Amino acid sequence: MIRAAGLVDVELGPPVDTFAGASGEDKARRFGTYGYPIRARKSG
Amino acid sequence: MTDIRDLVDLEQLRAEVQSKYREVAEGPTAEYHFHTGRAHALRLGYPASPLDQLPEVACEAFAGVANPFHWGTPRPGERVVDLGSGAGMDSLLAALWVGAEGRVIGVDMTTEMLERSRRIAASLAFANVEFRQGVIENAPVDDSWADVVISNGVINLCPDKLGVYSEIARMLRPGGRMMIADICIEKPVPEEALRDIDLWTG
Repeated sequence: MIRAAGLVDVELGPPVDTFAGASGEDKARRFGTYGYPIRARKSG
Repeated sequence: MTDIRDLVDLEQLRAEVQSKYREVAEGPTAEYHFHTGRAHALRLGYPASPLDQLPEVACEAFAGVANPFHWGTPRPGERVVDLGSGAGMDSLLAALWVGAEGRVIGVDMTTEMLERSRRIAASLAFANVEFRQGVIENAPVDDSWADVVISNGVINLCPDKLGVYSEIARMLRPGGRMMIADICIEKPVPEEALRDIDLWTG
């Protein structure tokens, strides 16, 4: 999807268990939800 | 496959998101389904410095999901757009990195978050950052203005993700960088859950 928008060099960084210990942890676990850094570049 | 945009009432979703983040702006130290604050930012991998240059009030409503600066930071003199700037912590950090020659524009749709971030930026006498009201699918920023677009934990709240990424491409100059953080899910989400606005926001 990011590439479809015209961006290149898309990269996903390491996951972080962002909801661990929060009250939303159970819902996050249901869907395997993690936070990620994501980078890309506009060509040119 | 059903288009996610057909499953969700966009205006209802935006109203729910604004309601949730209005709560955070007005009560940042309350308990939410997500973590908030400086300690959370450090746990996500934010650099202790220059985070330590920001007062507690600038960090306590931070509600990001990962570290958009994992690979690097904005550079001195650069122009940065922060999509869904919320309480403004990332915009203020970017303002410190770009310095007096750089500029930062934070974009957020929630009035209470904008008031909070503008008040904090003014109290810190940050002249290189401004906060504009708008939705990130149609951000009030000129074409090719930005060297860097950042965002943290916001794009997941938008059904039209391709529209958001296309908007990022529009705002970036050629060669410009997108540096964001967001949540990704490993398991398929059933249609009834996608229709459930409460699950989007909590």
